[in-house]
Amino acid sequence: MKRQVPLVLCFVFGIAMIFTRFSPHSVSQWIYEEVISWVLIIGPFALVLATVTLIQTHTTRIRRRTEHWQYSLVVFAGLIIMVLIGVPFGPQNSIFEWLYNNVQLPMDATMFSLLAFFIASAAYRAFRARTFEASLLLLTAVVVMMGNVPMGDFIWNTIMSWSPWTDKVSEARQWILDNPNLSARRGIILGVSLGVISQSIRIILGIERSYLGGGD
Amino acid sequence: MIKITQWIVVTLVLCLSVGTAFSQGLAPPSNVTAVDTPNDDGSSITIKWDAAAEDSGVSGYQILRRIADGELEAIGDLLPIGTTSYVDSAIEKGTAYAYIVRAVSETEATVDSDQTAPVEGKDQWFHTGKIPLLITMLLFSAAILWNIYDARSGKDIFVRRIPGLEAVDEAIGRATEMGRSILYSTGLGGVSGVATIASMTILGQVARRTADYETSLRVPCRDPIVLNVVREMVKTAYLEEGRPDAYNEDDIFFVTNSQFAYAAGVEGMMLRERPAAIFLQGTFYAESLILAETGNSVGAIQIAGTDSEHQLPFFIAACDYTLIGEELYAASAYLSREPMLLGSLRGQDWGKLLIFSAIILGVVLELSGVSWITTLLQRVS
Repeated sequence: MKRQVPLVLCFVFGIAMIFTRFSPHSVSQWIYEEVISWVLIIGPFALVLATVTLIQTHTTRIRRRTEHWQYSLVVFAGLIIMVLIGVPFGPQNSIFEWLYNNVQLPMDATMFSLLAFFIASAAYRAFRARTFEASLLLLTAVVVMMGNVPMGDFIWNTIMSWSPWTDKVSEARQWILDNPNLSARRGIILGVSLGVISQSIRIILGIERSYLGGGD
Repeated sequence: MIKITQWIVVTLVLCLSVGTAFSQGLAPPSNVTAVDTPNDDGSSITIKWDAAAEDSGVSGYQILRRIADGELEAIGDLLPIGTTSYVDSAIEKGTAYAYIVRAVSETEATVDSDQTAPVEGKDQWFHTGKIPLLITMLLFSAAILWNIYDARSGKDIFVRRIPGLEAVDEAIGRATEMGRSILYSTGLGGVSGVATIASMTILGQVARRTADYETSLRVPCRDPIVLNVVREMVKTAYLEEGRPDAYNEDDIFFVTNSQFAYAAGVEGMMLRERPAAIFLQGTFYAESLILAETGNSVGAIQIAGTDSEHQLPFFIAACDYTLIGEELYAASAYLSREPMLLGSLRGQDWGKLLIFSAIILGVVLELSGVSWITTLLQRVS
């Protein structure tokens, strides 16, 4: 019974949601919007549970003085300050906004900017021309990069001045993006779509049940 | 005499202007029809008319409507010349509207079409434009269901080797030998994301093995609902393996739902705990490379899998193994070797074969100047 009720609910709602995709009727759209609202309602309850979990995890770390337990104090400081200001005064409060704009956003931006360095290190490994495929990848990447930056035009035209491909770097870049790149992406998207259909059928029919917290 | 001359000139100019207006022959819009817009929830009516000739003098159209015997009211802005249809979305269901299309010239002379018959918007139960999509979906579903049914008979089903999944045992074994933990991230997706569900099913299989090997499994979560489902799944996996004592609820925890704060948190864990194996499975965005490169720098064996095609190159560059797109969905069947799940994989392959055949047929037909298959696919909205 513990398993059957969720499976029946999954089947009924799965079929109903598929039906809503093919029916523009207002009843069908109402069902769709209602179910989406239910999902949104569950979210805040789960967030409370998650916050409790967060507090438990970091309390345990501080109590046991585990390695780097001091970072947990920073978590609590951030949590308490934002709750004390945000809950009574709302998110429009000037101090809350200041903290968001001057602490959280810069930290997010810092993490995001780290990507530039990670891209460089990953590219270095990926583009090492050890095999034919890696050399092809390197060549393609060089053309796309040159087509993307103003300096690339200058370099390309200097190197290729003798060839009929002068001034063609942007076209070459676009050709690579529109043909081999787009074809590969579409192939992946088709595979993913079929995988989603297959996974959905398995879940709706109750063949795959591991998400219920048990075996298959 | 001068005044008489001026009067004559002004009169002539006026006559010429009026004459020109008449010579423009501003004809009323023809064949005006109003129909309930097909394939909608009855919230709009579509008005259509024939295009005016280029020399007709028409510079635009104004749509007018009336309820039963009510007053005529103008709706929307003046439509440019060349427009031949208008969708009136500001209607009330169950009310009949009659329409007139007014042609307007540059001199703001107007002429009205005949009034259409009253029409009202009605709910439609089925979107007829999606019939090809429905047929395709039913075909795929039938292929998958047939193969699942076929698999129940106990036939041996061949599934191609997926290196990323073959390496799961190797990664867990390595972590066990080194006495270090395994880090598993389900990505940024919510529980309603199919990729997240696929990731959780892989996690279930990984948890069975870590329960067997008594290896620490750490799962930082970004979504609160995912956190609770994951805890239940891992707990059940440990129970079913007969190792409930090895399960530690604190190892599955909520980090934050902010994208880069999550990345920072998980990155910090990688650097401090130096896990021996890292699984990045699910939906990832810009943080994919931050996580994968950090994992690479700590020397962990990394198995990534995502359906976000933009993140795949990053994973391929930084991870040891990458499950590309559909392989992520095939993982639970591949790892569990459950015949019915394997059957669905073969159904998926039939679907691919069908799409591949349609692409080849479409290319051949297009090259031969026949474009019905392209037109059919374009109609699928």
